[in-house]
Amino acid sequence: MSKVVQFDPHPAQAAATQSPLHHVAAKPAVGETGVTLTERAFLDHLIVRGEPGVLAGAVEAVLGLELPTQPQRLARNETGSLQWLSPDEWLLIVAGGEGFRLQRELREALGEAHFSIVDVGGGQTLLELSGKHAVEVLMKSTVYDVDPRHFPVGKGVTSVFAKATAVIRRVDESRWELVVRRSFADYCLRWLLDAGEEYGIAHQPTQPAVASHRQTVTDTETVS
Amino acid sequence: MSASSQTFRLAPKAGLGGEIDRDKPLRFTFNGKSYQGYAGDTLASALLANGVDVVNRSFKYSRPRGVVAAGAEEPNAIVQLGASEAAQVPNVRATQQALYEGLSARGTNGWPDAQRDMMSLVGKFGGPFMPVGFYYKTFKAPASLWMTYEKYIRKAAGLGRAPGESDPDIYDHMNRHCEVLVVGAGPAGLMAALTAAAGGVRVILCDEQETFGGSLRDRDETIDGLPAPEWARQTIERLAAMANVTLLPRTTANGYHDHNFVTLHERRTEHLGDTAPMVDGRRRSRSRLHRVRARHVVLASGAHERPLVYAGNDVPGNLLAGAVSSYIRRYAVMPGRRLVLSVTNDHAYRAALDWQAAGGEVVAIADARANPDGELVERARAAGIRVIAGSAVIEATSDRKGHRVNGARVAAIDIEGFRLSGEAEVLACDTIASSGGYSPVAHLAAHTGIRPVWRDDILGFVPGQAVDPVKGFSVVGGAAGVYALPALLEGAAVKVTQALAADGIHVDASEPPAVESIREGEAIGLYHVPHDKPTMRAPKQFVDLQNDVTAAAIELATIEGFESIEHVKRYTAMGFGTDQGKLGNINGMAIAARCLGQTIPETGTTVFRPNYTPVNFGAIVGRHCKELFEPERYTAMHQWHVAHGAKFEDVGQWKRPWYYPQRVNGKLESMHEAVARECLAVREKVGVLDASTLGKIDIQGPDAREFLGRIYTNGWEKLAVGKARYGLMCKDDGMVMDDGVTTCLGDNHFLMTTTTGGAAAILEWLEIWHQTEWPELEVYFTSVTDHWATMTLTGPEARNLLAELTDVDLDRDSFKFMEWREGVVAGVPARIYRISFTGELSFEINVQANYAMQVWESLFAHGNKYGLTPYGTETMHVLRAEKGFIIVGQDTDGSMTPEDLGMHWCVGYKKPYSWIGKRALTRSDTRREDRKQLVGLKPLEADVVLEEGAQIVFDPKQAIPMRMVGHVTSSYYSPTLERGFALAVVKGGHKRLGERVYLPMADGKTHAAEIVSPIFYDPQGSRQNV
Repeated sequence: MSKVVQFDPHPAQAAATQSPLHHVAAKPAVGETGVTLTERAFLDHLIVRGEPGVLAGAVEAVLGLELPTQPQRLARNETGSLQWLSPDEWLLIVAGGEGFRLQRELREALGEAHFSIVDVGGGQTLLELSGKHAVEVLMKSTVYDVDPRHFPVGKGVTSVFAKATAVIRRVDESRWELVVRRSFADYCLRWLLDAGEEYGIAHQPTQPAVASHRQTVTDTETVS
Repeated sequence: MSASSQTFRLAPKAGLGGEIDRDKPLRFTFNGKSYQGYAGDTLASALLANGVDVVNRSFKYSRPRGVVAAGAEEPNAIVQLGASEAAQVPNVRATQQALYEGLSARGTNGWPDAQRDMMSLVGKFGGPFMPVGFYYKTFKAPASLWMTYEKYIRKAAGLGRAPGESDPDIYDHMNRHCEVLVVGAGPAGLMAALTAAAGGVRVILCDEQETFGGSLRDRDETIDGLPAPEWARQTIERLAAMANVTLLPRTTANGYHDHNFVTLHERRTEHLGDTAPMVDGRRRSRSRLHRVRARHVVLASGAHERPLVYAGNDVPGNLLAGAVSSYIRRYAVMPGRRLVLSVTNDHAYRAALDWQAAGGEVVAIADARANPDGELVERARAAGIRVIAGSAVIEATSDRKGHRVNGARVAAIDIEGFRLSGEAEVLACDTIASSGGYSPVAHLAAHTGIRPVWRDDILGFVPGQAVDPVKGFSVVGGAAGVYALPALLEGAAVKVTQALAADGIHVDASEPPAVESIREGEAIGLYHVPHDKPTMRAPKQFVDLQNDVTAAAIELATIEGFESIEHVKRYTAMGFGTDQGKLGNINGMAIAARCLGQTIPETGTTVFRPNYTPVNFGAIVGRHCKELFEPERYTAMHQWHVAHGAKFEDVGQWKRPWYYPQRVNGKLESMHEAVARECLAVREKVGVLDASTLGKIDIQGPDAREFLGRIYTNGWEKLAVGKARYGLMCKDDGMVMDDGVTTCLGDNHFLMTTTTGGAAAILEWLEIWHQTEWPELEVYFTSVTDHWATMTLTGPEARNLLAELTDVDLDRDSFKFMEWREGVVAGVPARIYRISFTGELSFEINVQANYAMQVWESLFAHGNKYGLTPYGTETMHVLRAEKGFIIVGQDTDGSMTPEDLGMHWCVGYKKPYSWIGKRALTRSDTRREDRKQLVGLKPLEADVVLEEGAQIVFDPKQAIPMRMVGHVTSSYYSPTLERGFALAVVKGGHKRLGERVYLPMADGKTHAAEIVSPIFYDPQGSRQNV
């Protein structure tokens, strides 16, 4: 057995999956929609830890992303997003089912170096806030300064969110993402719907567009 | 009631009543009577317009009181708002409350109402009973009398009441960040905001009033050629149009906390109605707490006018000079007909000029200065007003009931000698306005701990200088004791420019606006007007109107030996409560200083505390209430538990199924019945527990094993891949802090489990030790608690059931106890751990949480024939206690060592490297043999279930206080053993097996129990090893 065990969490055949918010129905805004809340569930989330000098090359080679070494930076491309969390810790979010393959490729590229990659995809989900009042909703929820002047596109922080914690990131001019832990997701959602009421908040549950079963084709290709 | 009832409302005229809209009449009730006012009125201005003199009864002496001020400093007109019970709001200042249609308010004191006060009829109940120091004296002796007095005092006095019904409104919080927060939108605040905004930085400007502008609203001067109110309006418009400026009217900066964190209380809908109106079908908050973190705080909170302290100065009809101007100019309300003005300064002459211009009669101005000579004095003389130099109003006379001023006794005074220097003259009048100068509003600065400092030149305390200029705090305008408009505007601009420059932000200093200035003569200090009788025998001269503190009370306090102003404050209640000494404090300190024969700076001030004015509880709580009060953490199977009728237990923030009551013969099981059924199902068949909440930490790195060896008390060097081991963690004091099973996934890869409550703290613990003590170890930690859903399948049938769903070989020889395997369960990739917390054959199935429900439901789809029963935490507790398995935090309390728990087998003193707690565990105290040690207790009567926490004694016959030798930590009824049993800690318990102990209970019963091994069931462990 290898020194670190990788585990593909996804079934070989499509199986019934439930997002942390599967039990909450869609809700249109009362009146004009000022904020839209959408869950982007079933993505693969990986925590990558290591010294930047150790990780950067492999990250670039496998993901095509420059490892963000500046605090609170978020790098994105078509493969996924990579966010600085702490001086030796990053959050990688990729399409559902891609995480296992990318982890293996990263491990191969990193060889015997000291690092860690951990699948946390079942433990968190991603919420997207968009619309002209998204910032106000965030201001009611976090003590962090989310004023667009202070929080440019491509920034991401981990901060207090109501009485929970969330990763808060700004992906473009009008869209914000929140990464929340699975167990707190229901609370965070209820908080957001309440905070957004005065602005007209609409809630769209996740669209499981991505089949999250195992990507068998790529699997066989890369098995050595 | 028609508009004609507003007998004190002035006819429309340019420059008067600029803030009311006569086309929008509003009806309101006060103390049950109906009145009319106009949109733009405050409740106070509308009451004055209607000639309502008495708005309250005073707190202690039950004296009639009227409106005194026009802003937050109002001490008397404090009302109870709300037409319905649910909408009741206490502590509202009528001077800050905008009028709205249907407003209903009552005075907070007086029964049945302020006009006809029963207390005053029975002879001024409070007066003779409540001398100064009443509270202190009553508390002293005899103590029991306090209970008697207190009932009457509470009934007779008080400042409003809480609503008796649930508040229909919501309140919320908004976090804000800015470079410059300007508190107060008077001339200095507006100028400061304009300057900062020009620098392009984020500016927040707040003001407690309905309308921005502060003193500009009442001023005559022209600024840049515009009348002051018009300049203010245009400036506000300019600011409102700037994207980097946030304007918050009706917003009081109530608390100035550390690191430039300021709490602002915004009254969002209080001006619109009793409850917040819906907007487009959406709720919005009634009031909001803005939590502002500012780089710089600019205090432009202005100054409060000081009233003069003379006899009868509390009778309705005594007002502040500035308030008279405000009511005339802003609301076109003249609060009387015949005015006597008593002043110490030029500025206050405006009240007389405004009064006369509005058509009222100014009887005289008593000026305490010998030779007043400023420009406004000239204007008054030119207007034919009688100015009596070197004099003051020494007493207000009133009608028999004390409902309204009917005259002023004016006399020449000798301030230095504190005596009259001439005969008193009685002037008939219905209004006395006074001004003893101005007190900079130093409250917010004082919140930060900065003591105000006295300045003789302005006769007032100003906020002290912050020692560290980086603190980002400046004071401008009246708050800094700068009152003249030109100096004030320029000073504000300069200070903000300098503050921003310190941050590298350059502001082009534009020319300060051209201001017509008025030459003002020098003011004189007068804090207590002498009377023809000595203070103690003169009619009451009030210093603090809200708390009914008189000059005589302060004099008495000093006579009784109170020298520190802080003691005087507490002895007299001066500056207490919601008032926070806004009007009275300076006069009170000056009186104390005179009585003590010292200067005002020597006497000093008391400390002002947050909040500046009361903040409603709703705003403090915000949305953190009811269903959003506390996060509820759910596992992936939560909805199943809900659907199957689980009762939940709070474990940390998690909602864990506690037990699943079933309906038996149409009746829902009790907890006792459900737990008995669940326990037997596990012991005899198979049960399943949602164990997802246990903390899980993924540990990777070549030094992971070494790290575990240093964190845990036991050894890890030999744990093979594929195996799991129980571990104990101690703090550095040698006391058990957490436990759990850790699994070796690969040579460099472990999965640690922690207690549910300890998950976050243990991850931090690992990081702290790694980062600060052993950074050379190559290891990383990542929480995977939420990632994995965990289902504990346990009981004799567990293997048979699981075998139907998995490809993993479950044979007892190929998959042994304390091992793990990877495979597929119900089509989902899983890790299965053969570990047991029940003592039965157990498999813990772990899958990625998104797939958990499918696996869980598959277990039940196959489980019927095996009698699969879901069980909750209560059953888990019983089953583990039968096995003597501890729960950290229940059977331990931070004072238990592994050895105290009888877990010597879990401590590796011979490990090559030291580990956390080792040194502490070799201290003589931790080696003592009479420490409290974990044992089992078997009550002699089988049906007795001992109380958890019950104290244990060896000798039940000893006298109280008995020598307590331990206590029960866990106690249950065991359906398997068919008896009650308990875990307990007993001094030297490990050597007392078989001895008898006693548990004397509060109800007089004494239970007897035998000390036994804590393992009550299957001590050989044969059931889990099958």
